[in-house]
Amino acid sequence: MKLLTHNLLSSHVRGLRPGGGFPLQIQASEVRVRPVPFNAAFVARLVPRLRWAALLEAAESLGHPSELPPEPAADYEGDESFLRRVHHILLEVEVLEGVLQCPDSGRRFPISRGIPNMLLSEEEA
Amino acid sequence: MLLSLPISPASSGAVLCRNRRSESCTAVIRLAACTDGSLRAPPPVTVINAVRGGAVPRATRSRRFEALLSGTNAAACRPAPRAGEPPPRRGPWPALRAAGRAKMAAGGGRYFCTAGRGLEPFLAREVRARLGATEVDRVSGKVFFSTEAEPGELRKLKSGERLFLLLKKHTPIPVSRNKGKVLHEIKSLVIEEPKYWLDVISIWRNLHGCGGQKDNVSQENPSPLKRKSEEANIATKRQKMEQVRGTMSEECQAEGGERCVVPERKSDQDCWTESKTSLEDPSKSSGEEPIANEQLSFSFRVSCRCSGAIAKILTSQIFIHLNDIHSVVGIPLFRLPLANREYIKTAGLRSTIAWAMASLAEISAGAFVLDPMCGLGTILLEAAKEWPEACYWGADISDSQLEGADVNIRTAGLMDKIELLKASVKALPLPSESFDAVISDIPFGKKFKITKDIQLLPDILQEMERVLRVGGTIVLLLSQDLHKCMDGITKHAENDSPNAISDGASETTTAKALNVDGNSSSLVNGIEESFLSSRQTRFGSLVPDGVYEVSLGKTDAFIYKYRKISSAGNQ
Repeated sequence: MKLLTHNLLSSHVRGLRPGGGFPLQIQASEVRVRPVPFNAAFVARLVPRLRWAALLEAAESLGHPSELPPEPAADYEGDESFLRRVHHILLEVEVLEGVLQCPDSGRRFPISRGIPNMLLSEEEA
Repeated sequence: MLLSLPISPASSGAVLCRNRRSESCTAVIRLAACTDGSLRAPPPVTVINAVRGGAVPRATRSRRFEALLSGTNAAACRPAPRAGEPPPRRGPWPALRAAGRAKMAAGGGRYFCTAGRGLEPFLAREVRARLGATEVDRVSGKVFFSTEAEPGELRKLKSGERLFLLLKKHTPIPVSRNKGKVLHEIKSLVIEEPKYWLDVISIWRNLHGCGGQKDNVSQENPSPLKRKSEEANIATKRQKMEQVRGTMSEECQAEGGERCVVPERKSDQDCWTESKTSLEDPSKSSGEEPIANEQLSFSFRVSCRCSGAIAKILTSQIFIHLNDIHSVVGIPLFRLPLANREYIKTAGLRSTIAWAMASLAEISAGAFVLDPMCGLGTILLEAAKEWPEACYWGADISDSQLEGADVNIRTAGLMDKIELLKASVKALPLPSESFDAVISDIPFGKKFKITKDIQLLPDILQEMERVLRVGGTIVLLLSQDLHKCMDGITKHAENDSPNAISDGASETTTAKALNVDGNSSSLVNGIEESFLSSRQTRFGSLVPDGVYEVSLGKTDAFIYKYRKISSAGNQ
């Protein structure tokens, strides 16, 4: 599971407050870093779609402090070193084994072989 | 009855033979044009033993063919390898390649590509876009076109089945009660104007001089899984053919209708369908291609029930398709159908259809694309291969499917592009309005009991619509049963307000199918009415943007495209 995916994942346990269930807290037992070819334009397109605070928090929790600013700078598109750092944290760091925890309900979702299991039981959904 | 022909130096020999006992007929064409710089006159070609449907054991047949080959000029056409030179296997063929490039630059060729029914418009569009094709002519099941593209580009066609160099295209062979006359017509079609043959052969050779080796290399990487599935495929094809041949042996002699000597797809009308696979399957030839021989002689066979041994000796085959529209003769360009993707380890949905669906989704750079019932991931693989500047996610509830998808993604080298989740399409753990495209092959109606799962369809659509941003597209593949249901659901929501839906069984109006040809479908049936009336749907914001009927082989399916318009007004 890449942090790009984590940036989208939310818990849909029933009964959560609106906007709840995000971001999921990562407890990783196995993390892998794998190089991915860098494409500045591609990363620049991703930036506006990201939920930035959640990304920073996730990076910290993985022990990969990203040296990213609290908010993307206004001219981020031209800042290659910034884009490279975003690229690295978003696409090159993967959680292979671990758990995602819903911040509201406490429900735990396991990650196995890089694939998070978000299935809810009938009662929960 | 055997026919043999005197052959002039620059021509080919064609022989048709018929075995009275079984009433089946096989056309075998033997062409030998040797090019070691000169053309040698092949001696008159005699026949080929009649091959009867199903009855002749494989071993016998292959002995007969070997006898044929040893008795002809095949040997004569193969000069001994020059001393000290190992037979080139994968090395370049400089002379041919240079000549090939010159030829390609000079004008390219005319081709035709077969396509699954319903995919012809996609293929026509693709040849124009990808190959800059001209003179594009679309008929049922085939697209004819001219292009100067090189084989590497031709190989990339995604919505076609098999690609051929066009030898001839004529008006249909006149139908006649006189069988001999019909056979004569077929013979003339094939062997007339030998110059065509030589021209086309040189194009084919040039194409293969450039690209043929690559083909061999990539296909000699077969995973055992693929090989097994190909062999299983061949085994079932053969069985099927024997059944077909059994039933069709009477009708094979019938006039008119379709006679496919080497068809690319089975249909009820196919007669002696054939073991093209035995030629094309590289695993049969145990990976050792007689490359040295290919360089020097050139032989064809058409529609032979012959064993794998022949595949080693014969370099190509002729495809003849005779029907009411036209008579077409062509030479296949590649050993495997285009639909066999070397980057897909285990295919789920047919790759051509998966690609066609992805092409409808309007994937732009930076798009977020989701397949919420991804199975083995075929749609995502095709999409990510063609439109790599986007991000792809696949979700499925089945561990085994996800494992298969994972393997497929690794094999294709697309781990950077596609991420997987274990999640249910009924409750996607994803934020609203976060995806640009949702593409999915809805499995219901094919594997599962239709009545039970139809009830899930509105929930599924609702979730898909929720995660889609405004302006995004949904592309779905539905079985025929679901197709009827789908119209009921979406039309319902468009016509009625939410209140009416929850009240009103009586408001279930006739659902009109939004087919491209404007036909209306049948009424929504009783089962669907009962659950439709009890659910509030939010499909008012999904606008239909095309329905395409495609053939999946045995059944038909429908590709539906929807666009999400502003959801203001729907809670």
